[in-house]
Parts: sequence; C-alpha cells; structure tokens
Amino acid sequence: MMNETIPVQLQDTGSGVLAAADQTQTDSNGDMIHRIGYLTRSLHDNLRQLGVDKMIERVAQDIPDARDRLNYVARMTEQAAEKVLNATDIATPLQDEIATRANSFEERWKVILSNPSLKSEYDQLAQETLEFLHKTNKNSKETKDLLMEIMMAQDFQDLTGQVIKKITNLAQDLEKQLVQLLLDFSPAAKKDEDGLLNGPQIDPTKTDVVGTQEQVDDLLESLGF
Amino acid sequence: MANPNTKFLVVDDFSTMRRIVRNLLKELGYSNVEEAEDGAIALGMLKAGNFDFVVSDWNMPNMDGLTMLQKIRSDPAIAHLPVLMVTAEAKKENIIAAAQAGANGYVVKPFTAVTLDEKLNKIFEKLEKVGA
Repeated sequence: MMNETIPVQLQDTGSGVLAAADQTQTDSNGDMIHRIGYLTRSLHDNLRQLGVDKMIERVAQDIPDARDRLNYVARMTEQAAEKVLNATDIATPLQDEIATRANSFEERWKVILSNPSLKSEYDQLAQETLEFLHKTNKNSKETKDLLMEIMMAQDFQDLTGQVIKKITNLAQDLEKQLVQLLLDFSPAAKKDEDGLLNGPQIDPTKTDVVGTQEQVDDLLESLGF
Repeated sequence: MANPNTKFLVVDDFSTMRRIVRNLLKELGYSNVEEAEDGAIALGMLKAGNFDFVVSDWNMPNMDGLTMLQKIRSDPAIAHLPVLMVTAEAKKENIIAAAQAGANGYVVKPFTAVTLDEKLNKIFEKLEKVGA
C-alpha cells in the first residue's frame, strides 16, 4: 500500500511546485511534520509486526560480542608476532656466531694445510673438516636470510590490526545507532528511565512523547491492546 | 656511504612494526635506533634529542604521521630532519599530501628489506648532494 501512495505524493509535489509556493510556510511545515509522523507510525507498526525491534535488540547485543572477538584476534596475532620476533632476535646472533667461527676455522686450516711437511692422512681429515666448516658457514647465512624473512612476515600484524581496528570502530558506531533506534522506538522502555511523573508534555514533537490521541491509540495497539 | 652512527627515530603505534623496522635498520648497519609510539611522543623526543633521521607511520593515535611531519617542518630547530614515511595509506592523495608536507620518501606497507634500503640510500644520496 505504501508503495502505491508514495509515488502519487511525489508527483503531486512535483506538479504543484508553483501552487505550493503560494501556501504559507507554516502550512507546508505542518503538512510535512504530519506526513513524517504518519511514516514514523507506520514504520513503527511494521517493525513491531515483523518483530524487527526484537531483531535490532539482538543485533545490538551481538555487536559487543563481535567486538570482543575481534579484539581477541588482534591480541592473539600480536602475541604470535611478538613470539616469532623474540625467537628471531635470539636465533640471529647465534647463527652469526656459528658463521663467524666456522669461517675462522676454515681460514686457519687453510694456512696449516699449505705446509707441505704434513702427512697425507692428516691432510685428508683436514680437508673434510674444511669442507664441513665451509658448508656450516654457507648454511648459517642461508638460515639467517630465512630468519629475516620470518621476521618480515610478521608485518601482517600491523596491517590486519589496522583493518580490525576500523571494523571495531564501525561496529561500535552501528551499535550506538541501533541502541538509539531502540530507544526512539520503545517509548514504554524510555518512560521507565525517566520515571512516570513527568506531567503535561510541553514539546509534543519530541520522539519519545505521544503528541496526539491517534499516537496513543497506535502505541496501545502496537502493545497488543 | 652513510654514517653507521646515524641516529634513527622509528615512529609506529604497532610494536611489531617498530621491531621489524629496528631489526632491518640493524641489518643495514644502523644500530643507533630509538622508538616512539605516536607523533606527539616522537615530536617531544625529536626536540629533546639529537636525531638524524625519522622513519614514521601515518595512521597513529594522538598525533598522526602527517601532522608530525608538518610540525617538524615548521620548527626551525628540527626542520632539516629527513623523514621517510612507511605506511599502509596507499591512495594517491596520501602520497601527494606527504610530498607537499615535505616528506623525503614514501614506502607503502607491506614492504621488503630491499625497498627500505633503496629508499634510505636515495635520501642519503640526495642529502649528500645538497650538503656538497
């Protein structure tokens, strides 16, 4: 029904622009407020009928939970990143030491082997040691490169952390707006907060206030009376 | 080429990233590195200590990297400091804004050790040319 009436109303305003200009400002304002009031009431009724208010309430309750979960992910990835960085910090100097010492042994053996007066069997073993030291040196350097790569891979924590922070803020804003929506559409609940002795309403346009008997009836109806 | 005693200030709100940059700088031969977790803290440290180089993130609480850069450039005591932005902000307007504010270089995260090395050397080369 709403879908049929709205385009007609829009057409009316479109063709009646000049006529509307002749109307006094207060008239059109009153008309607009009346229409908004009508739309709000139907939206309110429809939401109630669909059980959307209950859904919004549930979503608003779920959001803090989602936020906690995102915070948990952020905390866990940070801890993991810290652990890896701690490990590479410790392993890197150990590798450095192995590489340096292997290199030094390699050089010293080379000097000794250049002396021709030594036996061939001794030469053989020395040559093997030399090869081993050379390989240790090479492997240490490769391990160190890998450690650097592991360290660099932890930069994901900064990037995913920034994304998570943004989503958390978004969820927080959404939660605030939903809670406000709930308050705006739950005059009964709001009244409890303010107490029940507020006297005559001096501003009937306030959203948490009923301004006309029609609204009183609508409210009662929405509550099942 | 560059002096190994060059004193760096690494500014980032994520401790993981500060450690990574610090380790990379050490690997490149610079072990004189201090850290700050936002622009406001960094600015205080820069005014107090004799730093030679700033490597900064953009998106940080309290004071972001761009504001910090603008404040550095407007303070005659520290206006000469080279500033390298290392940030996840990758829009054209970000890069233009950083350049206009007087950044010496701009590295987009995630980055590699090679990229950081290249950008640092480029800045040092330019500074040497100006100084010579």
